[in-house]
Amino acid sequence: MNMSFEFLRVFSYWDVLLNGLGITLLFTIGAAIVGTLLGFVISLMRVAPSRFIKWPARLYVEFFRGTPMLIQLFWIFFCLPLILGQDIPPYVSVMLSMVLFMAAITSETFRGSLKSISGEQHDACVALGLNFRVKAINVIFPQALLRSIPPLMSNVVSLFKESALISSVGIADLMFVSSNISSSTGRPVEFLTAAAVIYFVVAFPATRLVDLIEKRFLIRFA
Amino acid sequence: MNTEENINEQKAENAIKHQGFLGSKPLVEFKGVTKRFGDTCVMDEMDLQMREDDRLVIIGPSGSGKSTLLRVLMGLEPIDKGEIHFDSKPYVSVDSKGRTQTDLATRSKVGMVFQHYTLFPHLSVLGNMTLSPVKVHGMGRSEAEDRAREYLGRLGMEDKLNSYPGKLSGGQKQRVAIARALMLEPKLMLFDEVTSALDPEMVAEIEKVMLDLAKQKMAMMIVTHDMYFAKKIATESVFIAGGKVVEKCDPEIMFNEPKEERTKDFLNKVLHLK
Amino acid sequence: MNYTFDFSVLLGNFGPLFEGLQTTLLLALGANVLGLTFGFVVCLMAMASLWFLRLPAKLFIEFFRCTPVLIQVVWFFYCVPILFNVFFDPITMGILALGLNLIAFNAEAYRAGIQAVPKEHHDACVALGLGPWNKTVHVIFPQALRNAIPVLMTNGITILQQSALVAIVAVADLMYAGKMLATDTYRPLEVFTAVAVIYFLMSLPISQVVTFLERRQDASVER
Repeated sequence: MNMSFEFLRVFSYWDVLLNGLGITLLFTIGAAIVGTLLGFVISLMRVAPSRFIKWPARLYVEFFRGTPMLIQLFWIFFCLPLILGQDIPPYVSVMLSMVLFMAAITSETFRGSLKSISGEQHDACVALGLNFRVKAINVIFPQALLRSIPPLMSNVVSLFKESALISSVGIADLMFVSSNISSSTGRPVEFLTAAAVIYFVVAFPATRLVDLIEKRFLIRFA
Repeated sequence: MNTEENINEQKAENAIKHQGFLGSKPLVEFKGVTKRFGDTCVMDEMDLQMREDDRLVIIGPSGSGKSTLLRVLMGLEPIDKGEIHFDSKPYVSVDSKGRTQTDLATRSKVGMVFQHYTLFPHLSVLGNMTLSPVKVHGMGRSEAEDRAREYLGRLGMEDKLNSYPGKLSGGQKQRVAIARALMLEPKLMLFDEVTSALDPEMVAEIEKVMLDLAKQKMAMMIVTHDMYFAKKIATESVFIAGGKVVEKCDPEIMFNEPKEERTKDFLNKVLHLK
Repeated sequence: MNYTFDFSVLLGNFGPLFEGLQTTLLLALGANVLGLTFGFVVCLMAMASLWFLRLPAKLFIEFFRCTPVLIQVVWFFYCVPILFNVFFDPITMGILALGLNLIAFNAEAYRAGIQAVPKEHHDACVALGLGPWNKTVHVIFPQALRNAIPVLMTNGITILQQSALVAIVAVADLMYAGKMLATDTYRPLEVFTAVAVIYFLMSLPISQVVTFLERRQDASVER
């Protein structure tokens, strides 16, 4: 192997890369918050008694989980403006597609934890004479929410990784910045590796934290 | 007076009542109740009566519908035919469309304790006990907490008031579950194999709690596999099999000289007498 | 809304889309073959007691699970030729890049499946006098595989969807064909909608099977 690498050059572009990471985190956190709330509403729609509420929610979730996020992003970026007949700023369409992605996977998380509450807990509510409101607010939801915390955090990590796609429509996130620098400097090995390491340094501790919470904290309450 | 003597005295009293010397109102009446799970009929036009302040022990082979009987009485399972009266008033019935109707006001007079405790894991012991009284029955929070403290004190668990169920032993969980059910001051308590999931050394502590309740003349319906405990606590016993009441009599008679062949066979098997 | 749809562009241009679809299927299939086989090998390495087997395997798994697939794909296409001086055709490169990612995720699925086998079964094997080989082959693996199948299938669909990323490095898959066609015909709405529906129809039957399997496993665990 007769080539030299200049990994030190990465440091002269350090603040540009960190700016990119900032954009990535901004979109991830924003979409995580809105997407989680929307996902919760969708999960409730999916257990609703009326099929006019249940079926659209189901179709939405299946479709967003069954298609690549790239095509979702392109569709919202290129096609939605045509349907609405007006321009949408890029950051809005990117945010929208991340929110819809997050809501789809998160609604499944909530649905799973709602379902995971055993039949015996429902029996106990009847034996104690709890009405529907008290049962839902004081017994079922708190347990479902507690159990959702670890998978919800995993979803945020997934969203963080998927967010690299927004570079493909020109949002200056970490992925966009690093591939730009690597082509302008002709040093892909250094800069793409650096970007990969930055993604890893953020995502890896987050996954460990999820494990920790699952093992130490939740065992007591759920 | 110790618990055992008190209980024996009560038993004598009840025996006299049952012979008709003293009037005693029926508390629960099953009238031709049928319950099917798919093709299997677990209750077949069953008739069963239980008097006020009776402690009825239900025994029978596995799959004979003992737990189902309790679950139906708690309003957890719909029935297919028949009706149940509680305190001489209609409680569970089947309407013309085949739907089960349960009187909710009556249901709140029945309490139940389950095999697997079913405490709410996200609430403390206090939270578990005060949830229903405060949120559903409009009791003041401080009143409910005082009552919870009192009940837990009686069970020797006042120091666990703020613990979460995950930190308690099986026996402690089951004591909290009993206290939680008592908070609503039920007229009838149902016990569905409450010691089956416990380690042997914890069984005695739960049985003592139940015997103490017996001393306070709490009406109970008990499903258990422990025949010695059954004999000790019961004022009345019933053997069910094939969805029917095979034999219903005083526990002294049931466990010593049962009339029916099937009862004899079953007791011989479980008591290893053969 | 005053947009007039013209789905006829699809009829005339089905050829390129179909060729793209074939490439996508080839990518997904190849990645799955790699993922199912080497995923198992990596899983065994990650559970090995020898640190020089365990450590690289764990590092590999964590690195691929904690970075975006896009950067893995782009890195593979730009950096592997420079670093190792090897050049494959784009489809082989795509299969390798996606395959590496799937190997990491499937290794985790296998590991979770093995760990879900109850401790009592290990004890029972000792009590029955089964040696390590018999225990592993006849008791642990069959159960582990059954536990892992729904996750392996889900990972398989996920990689089918992630395969769309190779369009960004100009591999002519379904996504790429769609993008080209949308630009050529000025009809992104019709083309992208059609492409999305094609991806969806490929995933749907498999995800239905997964739902069915999970429901059956839940039912068998309950009683």
